[in-house]
Amino acid sequence: MNKRSEFQNPKPKIRTVFFCMACVIIACSSPIAAADNGTSDKLTVYVVNYPLKYFAERIAGDHARVVFPAPSEGDPAYWMPDAVTIAAYQKADLILRNGANYAKWVSKVSLPRSKMVDTSAKFKDRLITAEEVVTHSHGAAGAHAHESLAFTTWLDFDLAAKQAGVVMAALSRKKPAAKDFFKKNYTALENDLLAIDDEMKRIAAKNLLSPLVASHPVYDYLSRRYGLNMKSVHWEPDEFPSAAQWSELRAMLKKHPAKWMIWEQEPMKASAARLKAMGVDSLVFDPCGNIPDQGDFLSVMRRNGKNLKPAFQQ
Amino acid sequence: MIDSLYIAWQYIRSNKIRTATLIACITLISFLPVSLQLLLGESEQQLMSRAVSTPLVIGAKGSSLDLVMNSLYFSDEIPELISMEASDRVMESDLALPIPVYARFHARGNSIVGTTLDYFDFRGLKVTEGRNLAMLGDCVLGAKVAENLGLKPGDSLLSSPETLFDLAGVYPLKMKVVGVLQKSHTSDDLAVFVDIKTTWVIQGLGHGHQDVTNLTDPTLILKRSQSNVAATAKLYHHTEITKKNIDSFHFHGNTSIYPITAVIVAPYDDKSGTILRGRYLSKDETLQIIKPEEVIDGLLQNIFRIKNVLDAVIAVVALATILAVILVFALSLRLRQREIQTIFKLGCSRLTIARLVGAEIFIIVLSSGLLCGVMILVVNQISHDLVRMLFIR
Repeated sequence: MNKRSEFQNPKPKIRTVFFCMACVIIACSSPIAAADNGTSDKLTVYVVNYPLKYFAERIAGDHARVVFPAPSEGDPAYWMPDAVTIAAYQKADLILRNGANYAKWVSKVSLPRSKMVDTSAKFKDRLITAEEVVTHSHGAAGAHAHESLAFTTWLDFDLAAKQAGVVMAALSRKKPAAKDFFKKNYTALENDLLAIDDEMKRIAAKNLLSPLVASHPVYDYLSRRYGLNMKSVHWEPDEFPSAAQWSELRAMLKKHPAKWMIWEQEPMKASAARLKAMGVDSLVFDPCGNIPDQGDFLSVMRRNGKNLKPAFQQ
Repeated sequence: MIDSLYIAWQYIRSNKIRTATLIACITLISFLPVSLQLLLGESEQQLMSRAVSTPLVIGAKGSSLDLVMNSLYFSDEIPELISMEASDRVMESDLALPIPVYARFHARGNSIVGTTLDYFDFRGLKVTEGRNLAMLGDCVLGAKVAENLGLKPGDSLLSSPETLFDLAGVYPLKMKVVGVLQKSHTSDDLAVFVDIKTTWVIQGLGHGHQDVTNLTDPTLILKRSQSNVAATAKLYHHTEITKKNIDSFHFHGNTSIYPITAVIVAPYDDKSGTILRGRYLSKDETLQIIKPEEVIDGLLQNIFRIKNVLDAVIAVVALATILAVILVFALSLRLRQREIQTIFKLGCSRLTIARLVGAEIFIIVLSSGLLCGVMILVVNQISHDLVRMLFIR
């Protein structure tokens, strides 16, 4: 009898089924909708070095997901991404390049030109041709060099601000609705960069003629902007220099009596000690091409400024 | 009337060959102009569709037809080369998206088209097998090329030297097939797509070789100074770009002055397109900006002039055929004189005889009309593929 009445009155069951279905639909649709909003609104920006990542993140805020896929070890300028990473770059909304031949892998892969922005294109005339490059020739093409432009443009903080300006313009083109937000953030970043620029000028102005040696030729823009009297060798901080490299330095010091050597990272204790014995102190000025272990671009550059101060004491 | 039709039908059945000849003549003469019109209309639509979907093309001043045919249909006529600066100039104008095209080289009889990834989005081309271009030396094949050459992702394809007699020229490049495009029924099906930088490697403007600054073999060094190392012709150049040697590949000089054949320009809006066109009007300008639609339209006008001649020829043939048909009927009536006299003697009027002949003509014309209609329907159905086959070979 009970069974019969159940079949005769199926409404309670149908209601339960509808209620369950509604719950499932609501439960499934809500997070998807939220995720959709979250992803579709945000721009995906891929960059080739850390300074551009920092600039893009500061300017875009929550409006963009900035990706810098290079491994944390090593110099991103000499990194070569695999096919999967290249495919990710291809799918980005915006690809920020440093320009000045930085990240040579860009010239060896296929990326959509419509998405690429060369942040140093506007000051091409201010790019520095690197010294001490051995050219080579073969066939009818004549002499040519593989590396000719210095690429650590962001160490001239005036140029860094210009690069940040290009980042702002590119983001605004991609997302015009947030133009004012980008502009506001850019102005704050520009002020920070120009404050470091002023500080660097003040530090260097104390003793402009003070000769310096760079362990690597990556400080061309820093040197030019702040009028540093700097020459470079090709030393690695984690390798003890060879006898030839020491004699090269000795020869250099005879004509260029530097008291300080600038390193990209903390040098080996043995290298620093031997330099000290030669009357050359060591200081670190991190170009910050890759993500720093501590702090961010600005804090690293402020620390660099502090590290540089003793080299310019009278 | 039914009786007349019955007698006419019986007469036609007893003279099958004559009737078949008459039906064939009338069918063909009515089918030819209509089918020609159909095929030309379809060709026009297909030719125009690619031209219409390509808003503007920039190239060297000269034959605009060669420029359009090369940049849209990858024809063998190579227009005068321009430099990548033409593409950069459009990019800097911020009025349009430039897509450089360098369609100059070939691989096993198929055009190698050097371009950027934007081309695939612009044409709506999808990769069905494998992946899209990623590294220098990669190539993506048009559907027809993959089918004809039997190639698939993972295979390789060698570029063809421009001339067999250039023994000291650049070595062919062994390209890696990484993907096959979905069939688009356009010229893209017959092309081998590479990154524009790969075409420069094929040309020899970019190459990979041993590091000359660290060479120890004296036979490889012609002259060494502090600032330059001159290598001999013995220096080994890589003919294939692999993960191991990609670092050694480099380009001589400034790539912004490297050659291309054209720039496809997609303006952001109509106003931008008009402004951009205005910038290439100066007499001193070495480049021309053209609207492919206008060029192809001009080409089609010429084709239609030829069509008018064809129409005239068909009209004359049709007139001759109609006269021949009249003659056939007149002769047939003369041959059937005794038969007509018998009908007359049986008591039939002249009108009845006229109705009999009229019924015969009606049946023949109706049959021709039906046959012609069926043939036109078939042509109409296959005209799309037929024209594609004619254009895409």
